[in-house]
Amino acid sequence: MRGGGAVRTGQRRLASTSSRERRSLGRELFEFRGPARPGRDLWVGIGAFVFIVVLWLLVTELGLVHPQFLPSPLAVLRALRNLFVTADYLSDIGISVWRVWAAFATAALIAIPLGILMSSYRLVGAFAEPVVDFVRYLPVPALVPLTLIWLGIGESSKIALLWIGTFFQLVLLVADDARRVPREFIETGRTLGANDFSLMKDVLIRAMMPNMVDSLRITLGWCWTYLLIAEIVASNSGIGYELWTARRYGKTPEVFAGILTIGVIGLVSDQVIRALHRRAFRYLT
Amino acid sequence: MNASVYEPGFITLENITKTFGEGEDSIRVVEPLMLRIAKGEFVVFVGPSGCGKTTVMRMIGGLEKPTGGRITLAGQPITGPSREKGMVFQSYSSFPWLTVLNNVRFGLKYRRDIGPAEKERVARHYLRLVGLEPFADFFVNRISGGMRQRVAIARTLAADPLVLLMDEPFGALDALTRERLQVQLLEIGRTERKTVVFVTHDVDEAVLLADRIVVFSARPARVLRDINVAAELPRERGLEITEDPRFRRLRQEVLELLRIEEDRVVEAQMAKVS
Repeated sequence: MRGGGAVRTGQRRLASTSSRERRSLGRELFEFRGPARPGRDLWVGIGAFVFIVVLWLLVTELGLVHPQFLPSPLAVLRALRNLFVTADYLSDIGISVWRVWAAFATAALIAIPLGILMSSYRLVGAFAEPVVDFVRYLPVPALVPLTLIWLGIGESSKIALLWIGTFFQLVLLVADDARRVPREFIETGRTLGANDFSLMKDVLIRAMMPNMVDSLRITLGWCWTYLLIAEIVASNSGIGYELWTARRYGKTPEVFAGILTIGVIGLVSDQVIRALHRRAFRYLT
Repeated sequence: MNASVYEPGFITLENITKTFGEGEDSIRVVEPLMLRIAKGEFVVFVGPSGCGKTTVMRMIGGLEKPTGGRITLAGQPITGPSREKGMVFQSYSSFPWLTVLNNVRFGLKYRRDIGPAEKERVARHYLRLVGLEPFADFFVNRISGGMRQRVAIARTLAADPLVLLMDEPFGALDALTRERLQVQLLEIGRTERKTVVFVTHDVDEAVLLADRIVVFSARPARVLRDINVAAELPRERGLEITEDPRFRRLRQEVLELLRIEEDRVVEAQMAKVS
Protein backbone atom coordinates (compact mmCIF):
# COMPACT_ATOMS: atom_id res chain seq x y z
CA MET A 1 0.00 0.00 0.00
CA ARG A 2 2.81 2.36 0.86
CA GLY A 3 4.56 1.70 -2.36
CA GLY A 4 1.28 2.17 -4.20
CA GLY A 5 1.31 5.91 -3.44
CA ALA A 6 4.69 6.31 -5.06
CA VAL A 7 3.53 4.37 -8.10
CA ARG A 8 0.46 6.52 -8.32
CA THR A 9 2.47 9.75 -8.24
CA GLY A 10 4.72 8.25 -10.85
CA GLN A 11 1.73 7.42 -12.99
CA ARG A 12 0.35 10.86 -12.51
CA ARG A 13 3.63 12.34 -13.63
CA LEU A 14 3.56 10.06 -16.64
CA ALA A 15 0.00 11.04 -17.42
CA SER A 16 0.81 14.73 -17.19
CA THR A 17 3.80 14.48 -19.55
CA SER A 18 1.82 12.50 -22.10
CA SER A 19 -0.99 15.06 -21.99
CA ARG A 20 1.56 17.79 -22.52
CA GLU A 21 2.91 15.82 -25.46
CA ARG A 22 -0.57 15.42 -26.75
CA ARG A 23 -1.12 19.15 -26.53
CA SER A 24 2.09 19.89 -28.46
CA LEU A 25 1.12 17.28 -31.04
CA GLY A 26 -2.21 19.06 -31.44
CA ARG A 27 -0.41 22.33 -31.86
CA GLU A 28 1.80 20.75 -34.51
CA LEU A 29 -1.13 19.32 -36.45
CA PHE A 30 -3.07 22.56 -36.29
CA GLU A 31 -0.21 25.02 -36.63
CA PHE A 32 -1.55 28.34 -37.83
CA ARG A 33 -0.25 28.77 -41.39
CA GLY A 34 2.18 25.94 -40.77
CA PRO A 35 4.56 24.58 -43.40
CA ALA A 36 3.26 22.37 -46.22
CA ARG A 37 3.91 18.64 -45.86
CA PRO A 38 3.18 17.21 -49.32
CA GLY A 39 3.46 13.57 -48.22
CA ARG A 40 1.18 13.93 -45.22
CA ASP A 41 -1.25 16.26 -46.98
CA LEU A 42 -1.71 13.79 -49.85
CA TRP A 43 -2.68 11.02 -47.45
CA VAL A 44 -4.99 13.35 -45.53
CA GLY A 45 -6.68 14.22 -48.84
CA ILE A 46 -7.13 10.54 -49.72
CA GLY A 47 -8.32 9.95 -46.17
CA ALA A 48 -11.11 12.46 -46.69
CA PHE A 49 -12.50 10.38 -49.57
CA VAL A 50 -12.13 7.17 -47.60
CA PHE A 51 -13.95 8.82 -44.70
CA ILE A 52 -16.86 9.86 -46.90
CA VAL A 53 -17.15 6.43 -48.53
CA VAL A 54 -17.06 4.63 -45.17
CA LEU A 55 -19.70 6.97 -43.78
CA TRP A 56 -21.76 6.43 -46.92
CA LEU A 57 -21.43 2.65 -46.60
CA LEU A 58 -22.45 2.74 -42.94
CA VAL A 59 -25.52 4.88 -43.55
CA THR A 60 -26.75 2.80 -46.48
CA GLU A 61 -25.81 -0.70 -45.31
CA LEU A 62 -27.48 -0.09 -41.92
CA GLY A 63 -30.58 0.95 -43.81
CA LEU A 64 -30.73 4.42 -42.30
CA VAL A 65 -31.77 6.02 -45.59
CA HIS A 66 -34.13 4.85 -48.29
CA PRO A 67 -32.05 3.57 -51.26
CA GLN A 68 -34.20 5.65 -53.59
CA PHE A 69 -32.62 8.74 -52.01
CA LEU A 70 -29.16 7.42 -51.33
CA PRO A 71 -28.12 4.12 -52.89
CA SER A 72 -25.20 2.25 -51.40
CA PRO A 73 -21.79 2.83 -52.97
CA LEU A 74 -21.83 -0.80 -54.09
CA ALA A 75 -25.06 -0.23 -56.00
CA VAL A 76 -23.48 2.82 -57.61
CA LEU A 77 -20.48 0.76 -58.70
CA ARG A 78 -22.82 -1.88 -60.14
CA ALA A 79 -24.73 0.82 -61.98
CA LEU A 80 -21.47 2.22 -63.33
CA ARG A 81 -20.50 -1.22 -64.63
CA ASN A 82 -23.91 -1.69 -66.23
CA LEU A 83 -23.60 1.67 -67.92
CA PHE A 84 -20.29 0.66 -69.45
CA VAL A 85 -21.53 -2.76 -70.50
CA THR A 86 -25.05 -2.07 -71.73
CA ALA A 87 -25.31 1.66 -72.48
CA ASP A 88 -21.97 2.26 -74.22
CA TYR A 89 -21.05 4.72 -71.50
CA LEU A 90 -17.49 5.09 -72.78
CA SER A 91 -18.71 6.79 -75.94
CA ASP A 92 -20.89 9.06 -73.75
CA ILE A 93 -17.84 10.05 -71.78
CA GLY A 94 -15.93 10.47 -75.01
CA ILE A 95 -18.53 12.78 -76.51
CA SER A 96 -18.77 14.85 -73.32
CA VAL A 97 -15.01 15.25 -73.09
CA TRP A 98 -14.90 16.15 -76.76
CA ARG A 99 -17.60 18.82 -76.35
CA VAL A 100 -15.80 20.37 -73.41
CA TRP A 101 -12.44 20.43 -75.11
CA ALA A 102 -13.74 21.64 -78.45
CA ALA A 103 -15.47 24.57 -76.76
CA PHE A 104 -12.65 25.22 -74.32
CA ALA A 105 -9.87 25.10 -76.92
CA THR A 106 -11.61 27.45 -79.35
CA ALA A 107 -12.52 29.79 -76.47
CA ALA A 108 -8.89 29.85 -75.26
CA LEU A 109 -7.55 30.27 -78.78
CA ILE A 110 -9.46 33.53 -79.20
CA ALA A 111 -9.59 34.69 -75.59
CA ILE A 112 -5.84 34.64 -75.02
CA PRO A 113 -4.83 36.98 -77.87
CA LEU A 114 -7.87 39.19 -77.31
CA GLY A 115 -7.22 39.44 -73.57
CA ILE A 116 -3.60 40.37 -74.23
CA LEU A 117 -4.60 43.01 -76.78
CA MET A 118 -7.24 44.41 -74.40
CA SER A 119 -4.62 44.95 -71.72
CA SER A 120 -1.94 46.18 -74.12
CA TYR A 121 -3.95 48.74 -76.08
CA ARG A 122 -6.29 51.08 -74.20
CA LEU A 123 -8.55 51.45 -77.22
CA VAL A 124 -9.12 47.72 -77.62
CA GLY A 125 -9.81 47.45 -73.90
CA ALA A 126 -12.21 50.38 -73.92
CA PHE A 127 -14.07 48.85 -76.87
CA ALA A 128 -14.24 45.21 -75.81
CA GLU A 129 -14.37 45.28 -72.03
CA PRO A 130 -17.91 46.69 -71.51
CA VAL A 131 -19.38 44.21 -74.02
CA VAL A 132 -17.52 41.26 -72.55
CA ASP A 133 -18.51 42.31 -69.07
CA PHE A 134 -22.15 42.52 -70.09
CA VAL A 135 -22.26 39.08 -71.69
CA ARG A 136 -20.35 37.61 -68.78
CA TYR A 137 -23.20 38.43 -66.45
CA LEU A 138 -25.83 36.73 -68.60
CA PRO A 139 -26.69 33.38 -67.00
CA VAL A 140 -25.72 30.66 -69.46
CA PRO A 141 -29.05 28.74 -69.18
CA ALA A 142 -30.81 31.88 -70.42
CA LEU A 143 -28.93 31.48 -73.70
CA VAL A 144 -30.04 27.90 -74.31
CA PRO A 145 -33.19 28.84 -76.30
CA LEU A 146 -31.13 31.17 -78.45
CA THR A 147 -28.46 28.59 -79.29
CA LEU A 148 -31.24 26.13 -80.16
CA ILE A 149 -32.96 28.63 -82.45
CA TRP A 150 -29.71 29.62 -84.12
CA LEU A 151 -27.91 26.32 -84.35
CA GLY A 152 -30.53 23.61 -83.88
CA ILE A 153 -30.11 20.62 -81.59
CA GLY A 154 -26.88 19.33 -83.14
CA GLU A 155 -23.38 19.42 -81.72
CA SER A 156 -22.77 23.02 -82.69
CA SER A 157 -25.43 24.44 -80.36
CA LYS A 158 -23.96 22.60 -77.37
CA ILE A 159 -20.43 23.65 -78.18
CA ALA A 160 -21.62 27.20 -78.76
CA LEU A 161 -23.24 27.28 -75.33
CA LEU A 162 -20.07 26.03 -73.64
CA TRP A 163 -18.04 28.47 -75.69
CA ILE A 164 -20.15 31.43 -74.60
CA GLY A 165 -19.94 30.26 -71.00
CA THR A 166 -16.16 30.07 -71.01
CA PHE A 167 -14.97 32.60 -73.54
CA PHE A 168 -16.25 35.76 -71.88
CA GLN A 169 -14.97 34.77 -68.46
CA LEU A 170 -11.63 33.74 -69.85
CA VAL A 171 -11.06 36.96 -71.80
CA LEU A 172 -11.34 39.02 -68.65
CA LEU A 173 -9.17 36.68 -66.62
CA VAL A 174 -6.46 36.73 -69.30
CA ALA A 175 -6.63 40.52 -69.58
CA ASP A 176 -6.18 40.75 -65.81
CA ASP A 177 -3.27 38.33 -65.88
CA ALA A 178 -1.63 40.49 -68.53
CA ARG A 179 -2.28 43.66 -66.54
CA ARG A 180 -0.64 42.20 -63.47
CA VAL A 181 2.71 41.80 -65.25
CA PRO A 182 5.05 44.28 -63.51
CA ARG A 183 5.64 47.48 -65.46
CA GLU A 184 9.39 46.98 -65.00
CA PHE A 185 9.38 43.85 -67.19
CA ILE A 186 7.66 45.70 -70.02
CA GLU A 187 9.90 48.75 -69.75
CA THR A 188 13.00 46.56 -69.60
CA GLY A 189 11.92 44.90 -72.83
CA ARG A 190 11.33 48.30 -74.41
CA THR A 191 14.72 49.67 -73.41
CA LEU A 192 16.38 46.56 -74.84
CA GLY A 193 14.86 47.36 -78.21
CA ALA A 194 11.74 45.17 -78.40
CA ASN A 195 8.88 46.31 -80.61
CA ASP A 196 5.22 45.78 -79.63
CA PHE A 197 5.02 42.30 -81.08
CA SER A 198 8.31 41.11 -79.56
CA LEU A 199 7.25 42.65 -76.27
CA MET A 200 4.08 40.56 -76.21
CA LYS A 201 5.76 37.41 -77.47
CA ASP A 202 9.02 37.50 -75.51
CA VAL A 203 8.09 39.34 -72.33
CA LEU A 204 4.37 39.69 -71.64
CA ILE A 205 3.27 36.13 -72.43
CA ARG A 206 6.26 34.64 -70.67
CA ALA A 207 5.67 36.74 -67.57
CA MET A 208 1.93 36.06 -67.39
CA MET A 209 2.08 32.37 -68.34
CA PRO A 210 1.95 30.83 -64.84
CA ASN A 211 -1.11 32.88 -63.87
CA MET A 212 -2.73 32.28 -67.23
CA VAL A 213 -2.44 28.51 -66.92
CA ASP A 214 -4.24 28.84 -63.59
CA SER A 215 -6.97 30.90 -65.25
CA LEU A 216 -7.35 28.20 -67.91
CA ARG A 217 -7.56 25.49 -65.28
CA ILE A 218 -10.33 27.33 -63.46
CA THR A 219 -12.38 28.06 -66.59
CA LEU A 220 -12.06 24.45 -67.72
CA GLY A 221 -13.91 23.54 -64.53
CA TRP A 222 -16.70 26.00 -65.37
CA CYS A 223 -16.91 24.51 -68.83
CA TRP A 224 -17.94 21.18 -67.29
CA THR A 225 -20.75 22.92 -65.42
CA TYR A 226 -22.18 24.29 -68.64
CA LEU A 227 -21.78 20.93 -70.35
CA LEU A 228 -24.33 19.42 -68.01
CA ILE A 229 -26.80 22.18 -68.74
CA ALA A 230 -26.34 21.68 -72.47
CA GLU A 231 -26.65 17.90 -72.29
CA ILE A 232 -29.67 17.92 -70.01
CA VAL A 233 -31.68 20.37 -72.08
CA ALA A 234 -31.27 18.94 -75.56
CA SER A 235 -29.15 15.92 -76.21
CA ASN A 236 -29.26 12.19 -76.79
CA SER A 237 -25.68 11.46 -75.84
CA GLY A 238 -23.13 12.39 -73.21
CA ILE A 239 -22.77 11.98 -69.47
CA GLY A 240 -25.41 14.62 -68.78
CA TYR A 241 -27.90 12.85 -71.04
CA GLU A 242 -27.37 9.51 -69.26
CA LEU A 243 -27.70 11.24 -65.93
CA TRP A 244 -30.96 12.88 -66.89
CA THR A 245 -32.39 9.70 -68.43
CA ALA A 246 -31.58 7.78 -65.27
CA ARG A 247 -33.44 10.39 -63.23
CA ARG A 248 -36.50 10.03 -65.44
CA TYR A 249 -36.70 6.32 -64.62
CA GLY A 250 -35.87 6.88 -60.97
CA LYS A 251 -32.56 5.04 -61.21
CA THR A 252 -30.73 6.81 -58.42
CA PRO A 253 -27.58 4.61 -58.58
CA GLU A 254 -27.10 5.63 -62.24
CA VAL A 255 -27.54 9.29 -61.31
CA PHE A 256 -24.83 8.88 -58.70
CA ALA A 257 -22.64 7.06 -61.21
CA GLY A 258 -22.95 10.03 -63.59
CA ILE A 259 -22.08 12.55 -60.89
CA LEU A 260 -19.14 10.42 -59.84
CA THR A 261 -17.84 10.23 -63.41
CA ILE A 262 -17.87 14.00 -63.79
CA GLY A 263 -16.21 14.46 -60.41
CA VAL A 264 -13.43 12.02 -61.27
CA ILE A 265 -12.80 13.55 -64.71
CA GLY A 266 -12.72 17.01 -63.14
CA LEU A 267 -10.36 15.96 -60.37
CA VAL A 268 -8.01 14.12 -62.73
CA SER A 269 -7.78 16.91 -65.32
CA ASP A 270 -7.25 19.48 -62.57
CA GLN A 271 -4.44 17.45 -61.04
CA VAL A 272 -2.85 16.85 -64.44
CA ILE A 273 -2.81 20.58 -65.20
CA ARG A 274 -1.42 21.33 -61.74
CA ALA A 275 1.36 18.80 -62.27
CA LEU A 276 2.18 20.29 -65.68
CA HIS A 277 2.17 23.74 -64.07
CA ARG A 278 4.71 22.64 -61.46
CA ARG A 279 6.88 21.10 -64.16
CA ALA A 280 6.71 23.95 -66.66
CA PHE A 281 7.23 26.73 -64.12
CA ARG A 282 9.86 25.17 -61.95
CA TYR A 283 11.64 28.53 -61.90
CA LEU A 284 8.95 29.84 -59.56
CA THR A 285 9.68 27.51 -56.68
CA MET B 1 40.21 63.97 -67.00
CA ASN B 2 40.89 65.33 -70.42
CA ALA B 3 38.13 67.84 -71.15
CA SER B 4 38.20 67.11 -74.88
CA VAL B 5 37.05 63.53 -74.20
CA TYR B 6 33.69 64.90 -73.15
CA GLU B 7 31.08 66.12 -75.56
CA PRO B 8 29.38 68.53 -73.19
CA GLY B 9 25.98 68.29 -74.88
CA PHE B 10 25.73 64.52 -75.15
CA ILE B 11 22.42 64.61 -73.29
CA THR B 12 20.61 67.93 -73.16
CA LEU B 13 17.44 68.85 -71.32
CA GLU B 14 16.04 72.21 -72.41
CA ASN B 15 13.27 73.83 -70.36
CA ILE B 16 11.85 70.47 -69.42
CA THR B 17 8.59 70.50 -67.49
CA LYS B 18 6.39 67.67 -66.36
CA THR B 19 2.85 67.79 -65.04
CA PHE B 20 0.89 64.71 -64.02
CA GLY B 21 -2.88 64.80 -64.42
CA GLU B 22 -5.02 67.55 -65.83
CA GLY B 23 -6.90 70.62 -64.59
CA GLU B 24 -7.57 71.00 -60.87
CA ASP B 25 -5.88 67.77 -59.85
CA SER B 26 -2.74 68.27 -61.88
CA ILE B 27 0.57 68.11 -60.08
CA ARG B 28 3.61 69.86 -61.40
CA VAL B 29 6.50 67.48 -60.89
CA VAL B 30 9.31 69.20 -62.76
CA GLU B 31 9.93 72.93 -63.06
CA PRO B 32 11.51 74.26 -66.25
CA LEU B 33 14.79 72.39 -66.08
CA MET B 34 18.06 72.86 -67.93
CA LEU B 35 20.66 70.14 -67.77
CA ARG B 36 23.57 69.00 -69.87
CA ILE B 37 25.30 65.70 -69.43
CA ALA B 38 28.63 64.99 -71.08
CA LYS B 39 29.60 61.77 -72.77
CA GLY B 40 31.23 59.33 -70.36
CA GLU B 41 30.04 61.25 -67.33
CA PHE B 42 28.68 59.44 -64.26
CA VAL B 43 25.89 61.70 -63.03
CA VAL B 44 24.01 60.98 -59.82
CA PHE B 45 20.60 62.51 -59.09
CA VAL B 46 19.77 63.00 -55.42
CA GLY B 47 16.85 64.77 -53.81
CA PRO B 48 14.09 64.40 -51.23
CA SER B 49 11.85 61.38 -51.81
CA GLY B 50 9.10 62.00 -54.33
CA CYS B 51 10.89 65.06 -55.69
CA GLY B 52 10.73 64.01 -59.32
CA LYS B 53 14.33 62.89 -59.86
CA THR B 54 13.15 59.51 -61.10
CA THR B 55 10.70 61.23 -63.44
CA VAL B 56 13.55 63.28 -64.93
CA MET B 57 15.50 60.09 -65.51
CA ARG B 58 12.50 58.30 -67.00
CA MET B 59 12.08 61.21 -69.42
CA ILE B 60 15.68 60.78 -70.54
CA GLY B 61 14.89 57.08 -71.02
CA GLY B 62 11.87 57.97 -73.16
CA LEU B 63 9.58 56.13 -70.73
CA GLU B 64 7.83 59.37 -69.83
CA LYS B 65 7.06 62.28 -72.15
CA PRO B 66 7.92 65.76 -70.94
CA THR B 67 4.96 68.15 -70.81
CA GLY B 68 7.14 70.88 -72.23
CA GLY B 69 10.69 71.32 -73.50
CA ARG B 70 13.08 69.14 -75.44
CA ILE B 71 15.49 66.35 -74.61
CA THR B 72 18.20 65.19 -76.96
CA LEU B 73 20.68 62.32 -76.88
CA ALA B 74 23.72 62.55 -79.16
CA GLY B 75 21.98 65.34 -81.04
CA GLN B 76 18.77 63.39 -81.67
CA PRO B 77 15.49 64.26 -79.92
CA ILE B 78 14.19 61.52 -77.63
CA THR B 79 10.80 60.25 -78.78
CA GLY B 80 10.41 57.02 -76.83
CA PRO B 81 12.24 54.13 -75.22
CA SER B 82 14.91 52.40 -77.30
CA ARG B 83 18.01 50.28 -77.03
CA GLU B 84 20.11 53.46 -76.87
CA LYS B 85 18.82 54.16 -73.36
CA GLY B 86 19.39 51.15 -71.12
CA MET B 87 17.52 50.96 -67.83
CA VAL B 88 18.21 49.08 -64.60
CA PHE B 89 15.36 48.98 -62.09
CA GLN B 90 15.36 48.33 -58.38
CA SER B 91 12.89 45.44 -58.49
CA TYR B 92 11.76 42.98 -61.17
CA SER B 93 15.06 43.81 -62.83
CA SER B 94 15.76 40.36 -64.28
CA PHE B 95 13.35 37.92 -65.93
CA PRO B 96 12.45 34.97 -63.68
CA TRP B 97 11.59 32.66 -66.59
CA LEU B 98 15.12 32.84 -67.97
CA THR B 99 18.41 31.57 -66.64
CA VAL B 100 21.18 34.02 -65.77
CA LEU B 101 22.91 33.52 -69.13
CA ASN B 102 19.66 33.78 -71.08
CA ASN B 103 18.83 36.98 -69.25
CA VAL B 104 22.12 38.44 -70.48
CA ARG B 105 21.48 37.05 -73.97
CA PHE B 106 18.11 38.81 -73.93
CA GLY B 107 19.99 42.11 -73.98
CA LEU B 108 21.34 41.15 -77.41
CA LYS B 109 18.14 39.66 -78.79
CA TYR B 110 17.07 42.71 -80.77
CA ARG B 111 20.51 43.85 -81.91
CA ARG B 112 20.94 43.77 -85.67
CA ASP B 113 24.45 45.25 -85.75
CA ILE B 114 26.20 42.00 -84.82
CA GLY B 115 25.85 38.33 -85.80
CA PRO B 116 25.00 35.31 -83.64
CA ALA B 117 28.60 34.31 -82.92
CA GLU B 118 29.50 37.83 -81.85
CA LYS B 119 26.35 37.99 -79.72
CA GLU B 120 27.38 34.87 -77.86
CA ARG B 121 30.85 36.30 -77.27
CA VAL B 122 29.40 39.58 -75.96
CA ALA B 123 26.97 37.76 -73.65
CA ARG B 124 29.81 35.69 -72.17
CA HIS B 125 31.96 38.80 -71.85
CA TYR B 126 29.42 40.69 -69.74
CA LEU B 127 28.56 37.61 -67.71
CA ARG B 128 32.24 37.38 -66.82
CA LEU B 129 32.46 41.13 -66.21
CA VAL B 130 29.85 40.93 -63.43
CA GLY B 131 31.37 37.71 -62.10
CA LEU B 132 28.38 35.46 -62.68
CA GLU B 133 29.90 32.82 -64.97
CA PRO B 134 29.52 30.03 -62.40
CA PHE B 135 25.79 30.83 -62.16
CA ALA B 136 25.12 30.93 -65.91
CA ASP B 137 22.50 28.17 -65.84
CA PHE B 138 20.75 29.19 -62.63
CA PHE B 139 17.25 30.60 -62.71
CA VAL B 140 17.17 33.98 -61.02
CA ASN B 141 15.06 32.79 -58.08
CA ARG B 142 18.07 30.69 -57.06
CA ILE B 143 20.47 33.64 -56.80
CA SER B 144 20.66 36.53 -54.33
CA GLY B 145 19.22 40.00 -54.80
CA GLY B 146 22.68 41.43 -55.42
CA MET B 147 23.35 38.88 -58.14
CA ARG B 148 20.03 39.69 -59.76
CA GLN B 149 21.08 43.32 -60.04
CA ARG B 150 24.36 42.21 -61.58
CA VAL B 151 22.39 40.15 -64.12
CA ALA B 152 20.38 43.27 -64.98
CA ILE B 153 23.53 45.37 -65.35
CA ALA B 154 25.19 42.77 -67.59
CA ARG B 155 22.05 42.44 -69.71
CA THR B 156 21.72 46.19 -70.13
CA LEU B 157 25.40 46.62 -71.05
CA ALA B 158 25.11 43.77 -73.57
CA ALA B 159 22.50 45.82 -75.43
CA ASP B 160 25.24 48.43 -75.91
CA PRO B 161 23.24 51.55 -74.94
CA LEU B 162 24.54 55.09 -75.32
CA VAL B 163 23.47 55.85 -71.77
CA LEU B 164 22.88 53.64 -68.76
CA LEU B 165 19.98 54.76 -66.56
CA MET B 166 19.86 53.28 -63.08
CA ASP B 167 16.85 53.81 -60.83
CA GLU B 168 17.99 53.13 -57.24
CA PRO B 169 19.40 49.82 -58.43
CA PHE B 170 20.98 48.96 -55.07
CA GLY B 171 18.17 50.36 -52.91
CA ALA B 172 16.78 47.00 -51.82
CA LEU B 173 20.13 45.39 -50.97
CA ASP B 174 21.83 44.95 -47.61
CA ALA B 175 24.72 47.28 -46.77
CA LEU B 176 27.56 44.85 -47.53
CA THR B 177 26.15 43.68 -50.85
CA ARG B 178 25.49 47.27 -51.82
CA GLU B 179 29.13 48.22 -51.10
CA ARG B 180 30.38 45.33 -53.16
CA LEU B 181 28.17 46.28 -56.10
CA GLN B 182 29.17 49.94 -55.85
CA VAL B 183 32.83 48.97 -56.16
CA GLN B 184 32.02 46.69 -59.05
CA LEU B 185 30.07 49.43 -60.79
CA LEU B 186 33.05 51.79 -60.36
CA GLU B 187 35.28 49.21 -62.03
CA ILE B 188 32.80 48.63 -64.83
CA GLY B 189 32.48 52.38 -65.31
CA ARG B 190 36.23 52.58 -65.68
CA THR B 191 36.49 49.80 -68.27
CA GLU B 192 33.28 50.44 -70.22
CA ARG B 193 33.35 54.26 -70.23
CA LYS B 194 29.58 54.47 -70.33
CA THR B 195 27.56 57.57 -69.69
CA VAL B 196 25.57 56.80 -66.55
CA VAL B 197 22.63 58.54 -64.90
CA PHE B 198 22.07 57.09 -61.46
CA VAL B 199 19.22 57.93 -59.08
CA THR B 200 19.64 57.30 -55.37
CA HIS B 201 18.70 58.68 -51.99
CA ASP B 202 21.86 57.29 -50.40
CA VAL B 203 24.25 60.23 -50.09
CA ASP B 204 27.35 58.08 -49.48
CA GLU B 205 26.56 56.09 -52.60
CA ALA B 206 26.14 59.32 -54.56
CA VAL B 207 29.53 60.77 -53.58
CA LEU B 208 31.30 57.44 -54.00
CA LEU B 209 30.07 56.85 -57.55
CA ALA B 210 29.59 60.27 -59.06
CA ASP B 211 31.64 62.43 -61.35
CA ARG B 212 28.91 64.90 -60.74
CA ILE B 213 25.97 65.14 -58.35
CA VAL B 214 22.80 66.97 -59.26
CA VAL B 215 20.86 67.83 -56.10
CA PHE B 216 17.16 68.35 -56.76
CA SER B 217 14.72 70.39 -54.70
CA ALA B 218 11.48 69.01 -53.31
CA ARG B 219 8.61 68.76 -55.81
CA PRO B 220 8.40 70.41 -58.28
CA ALA B 221 11.98 69.46 -59.05
CA ARG B 222 14.56 72.08 -59.89
CA VAL B 223 18.34 71.87 -59.62
CA LEU B 224 19.43 73.04 -56.17
CA ARG B 225 23.09 72.48 -56.78
CA ASP B 226 25.29 70.90 -59.39
CA ILE B 227 28.40 69.52 -57.70
CA ASN B 228 31.49 68.62 -59.72
CA VAL B 229 32.77 65.68 -57.70
CA ALA B 230 35.38 64.73 -60.30
CA ALA B 231 37.13 68.06 -59.67
CA GLU B 232 37.75 67.09 -56.04
CA LEU B 233 38.03 63.32 -55.98
CA PRO B 234 40.14 61.14 -58.26
CA ARG B 235 38.14 59.28 -60.89
CA GLU B 236 39.86 56.08 -59.92
CA ARG B 237 38.50 55.35 -56.46
CA GLY B 238 37.54 52.55 -54.18
CA LEU B 239 35.84 52.25 -50.81
CA GLU B 240 38.91 53.76 -49.07
CA ILE B 241 37.90 57.13 -50.49
CA THR B 242 35.09 57.27 -47.92
CA GLU B 243 37.81 58.01 -45.28
CA ASP B 244 39.09 60.96 -47.32
CA PRO B 245 38.29 64.40 -45.80
CA ARG B 246 37.26 65.68 -49.24
CA PHE B 247 34.73 62.84 -49.51
CA ARG B 248 33.33 63.76 -46.10
CA ARG B 249 33.09 67.42 -46.99
CA LEU B 250 31.14 66.63 -50.17
CA ARG B 251 28.91 64.23 -48.31
CA GLN B 252 28.28 66.91 -45.68
CA GLU B 253 27.46 69.46 -48.35
CA VAL B 254 24.84 67.22 -49.99
CA LEU B 255 23.34 66.14 -46.68
CA GLU B 256 23.05 69.75 -45.55
CA LEU B 257 21.17 70.69 -48.72
CA LEU B 258 18.81 67.76 -48.36
CA ARG B 259 18.16 68.50 -44.68
CA ILE B 260 17.21 72.09 -45.40
CA GLU B 261 14.97 70.91 -48.22
CA GLU B 262 13.24 68.25 -46.12
CA ASP B 263 12.63 70.80 -43.34
CA ARG B 264 11.12 73.16 -45.84
CA VAL B 265 8.75 70.42 -47.06
CA VAL B 266 7.67 69.52 -43.51
CA GLU B 267 7.05 73.19 -42.66
CA ALA B 268 5.01 73.66 -45.82
CA GLN B 269 2.90 70.62 -44.95
CA MET B 270 2.37 71.87 -41.37
CA ALA B 271 1.29 75.25 -42.69
CA LYS B 272 -1.21 73.55 -44.98
CA VAL B 273 -2.68 71.42 -42.19
CA SER B 274 -3.08 74.24 -39.62
